[in-house]
Amino acid sequence: MDIVRKLEILSDAAKYDVACTSSGVDRAGKRGQLGAASAAGCCHSFTEDGRCISLLKVLMTNVCTYDCAYCVNRRSNAEVERTAFTPQELADLTIGFYRRNYIEGLFLSSGVIGNADRTTELMIETLRILREDYGFRGYIHAKAVPNASLELVDKLGYLADRLSVNLELPSSASLKLLCPDKTRQSVLKPMKRISEAISEDSESRAMVRRRKTVYMSATRPRRAQRAFAPAGQSTQMIVGATPETDHQILGLAASLYKSMQLKRVFFSAYLPVVADPRLPSTDRIQLDREHRLYQADWLMRFYGFSVEEIIDEANPNLATDVDPKANWALNHLDLFPVEVNTASRDMLLRVPGIGVRGAKLIMRARKQSTLGEDELRRLGIALKRARYFITCGGKHLGRGVEFSPEVLHAKLAAPIDGGSHGRRADKLVDGQMSLFSYASVTGDFALEEASPDAAGPARVLEAAS
Amino acid sequence: MTDVYEGVTYVYDGSAEGLLTAIFTAYADRERPDAVVREADFQPTLLQVPKRIKTSADLADRVSSGLRKRLGAYTQRGVLRASLSGRKDAGTAVYRFVRFALDEPHPVKRRPIDDISNPEVRPLHDILRAISNECEKIRQFSRFEHLCDDTGEVWFARVNPRDSVVPLVMGHFVERFNVQPFILYDEVHDLAGIWDGHQRMFVSTADMEMTLPEKTASEVVMQEAWRTFYKTLSIDARYNPELRRKMMPKRFWKNLTEMQDDEFAIKRS
Repeated sequence: MDIVRKLEILSDAAKYDVACTSSGVDRAGKRGQLGAASAAGCCHSFTEDGRCISLLKVLMTNVCTYDCAYCVNRRSNAEVERTAFTPQELADLTIGFYRRNYIEGLFLSSGVIGNADRTTELMIETLRILREDYGFRGYIHAKAVPNASLELVDKLGYLADRLSVNLELPSSASLKLLCPDKTRQSVLKPMKRISEAISEDSESRAMVRRRKTVYMSATRPRRAQRAFAPAGQSTQMIVGATPETDHQILGLAASLYKSMQLKRVFFSAYLPVVADPRLPSTDRIQLDREHRLYQADWLMRFYGFSVEEIIDEANPNLATDVDPKANWALNHLDLFPVEVNTASRDMLLRVPGIGVRGAKLIMRARKQSTLGEDELRRLGIALKRARYFITCGGKHLGRGVEFSPEVLHAKLAAPIDGGSHGRRADKLVDGQMSLFSYASVTGDFALEEASPDAAGPARVLEAAS
Repeated sequence: MTDVYEGVTYVYDGSAEGLLTAIFTAYADRERPDAVVREADFQPTLLQVPKRIKTSADLADRVSSGLRKRLGAYTQRGVLRASLSGRKDAGTAVYRFVRFALDEPHPVKRRPIDDISNPEVRPLHDILRAISNECEKIRQFSRFEHLCDDTGEVWFARVNPRDSVVPLVMGHFVERFNVQPFILYDEVHDLAGIWDGHQRMFVSTADMEMTLPEKTASEVVMQEAWRTFYKTLSIDARYNPELRRKMMPKRFWKNLTEMQDDEFAIKRS
């Protein structure tokens, strides 16, 4: 099989992994070596669905001994052609793409061939060729395979910039139902190990750098040639395949950020690729829900919100008509309006319509002059949204609009702009027949599938258990 | 204050040096031009008195070092970057900002360039943001081809930025591609950034005829592999061409390897 055909099969199998970031590590170039990495990352192209291509995202192989229900590479799926890269082939392809400025580096994942350790060894060999034989200094994201031995995960971490273990399903019950070969432990154990190794490594490097401690040579912390996963680790959860609420999903994400020091948690709207009675087989995908989850995730990571402020058990799903930040503001109108010329950065960040960039501009500009409405406009602040929540020199900008939750809710409600194509869930009318659901209406679930509302998957799960 | 020269418009050649020379001229001749425009954008009207500026590298250097002395390195860098802009209003915006900044009694301490809500500074700030966006676009969307003939090999990329940003992004490419000699050719501004493996240089290609060597055999395979990869990665259910156009504007498509066999897409643009 020629390399182009292999690439086609193995990238087709990898495309459902949403993470494609090349960010988090700054590595200057070095004379005589290919590649460099910058902390902000770089997107080199965008596919027809508007998602970025930053890394060569492929599988080592799509042969897999596991049988996860949602996955296109599952053992029992006889429809896909199976193949594998050799480590050398994949390393050459990565270098070839990198030299042409197509990519920032490699995103290497894999089906489980033989067993988890054998698979990880193949991945390590690929990364070793890239780093040692080719002296490649670009970005590498590697997947740790669940159940792989921790020594191998360690080895992988010293070659890669970012590691990730995919949680895929937000609860152990769902995991048990859909992924018979994985357990919560098999996912969390490598994640925990990676998190420990990252902090150990950065601590020992910091000590060696500072030279404040004098060690006997036998106990001196080993300074590895490369840092352990300097861009941290991330994970991914599928949204909409199982009945978990946004409250559960965000709570889990928040605890992962805290306990595992994850850099990112990605959410992926469930998309039916293989028919399975355990899965909802609606043709709609919950892109709007995914969008709101990411907004909430941003609030936690950049805006100083805690998860309890964003969502609570009483309303376990995020509002669809207003974004989570506007929702918070509407529930806390007693804190508003704030004075833009004196408010702290933290408070500015909580105003709907003022983001991280806007807050920074305001902080910078108000050192020079008092800000009024015109000045804010010139800074590019979204006054359409922000005006109800701010005063400029004591003057409230939301004049003529009643300062009540109901009225402001109507003013802030805005549909999500998801383009005018695709199978976005809110675009299809209830009961509309689509090819996919028609093909899969064979079992006892036809009735449930006809009304794919929020409770749909839950009923499907009950029926299956 | 009435000025006998009211209504004068400076016309410069479009280069950054030309713009700095124009600024020099305004101070040397004690004039306050209404506008500073490049030759290509200049449209004479009845009331304007055009004044052609003859570009001088020496005068441009004097202005540049003068800006550094009076306004500090931070502001000087902003002015120099902005003068690479391809926007029609860039000349006037840069000139007006320099006037404003030099009129400020404590320009280093007060940093007039940070007074971004001021109408004299805001246009410059917009231009600077557009320029750094354009730099990022070139870092993203340059595609190098491996070309080879009897005399040697080179990696060649053709780009079409709005602003003349090749000098600003050259460092980025030299850093990561220092093992391969390459040319980053800006077909809009007729400027080529060249890295020969040891040093970088910039060559104006305005009156040059270019003949490119042939693609190597592996280049053809790699391009096919990249196109295949690009097409495969898209998920149909998420099809969203509006978003793609927003992130990857159509004006770049003609130089993107992955868009080349998509004749239909190019025709639509």
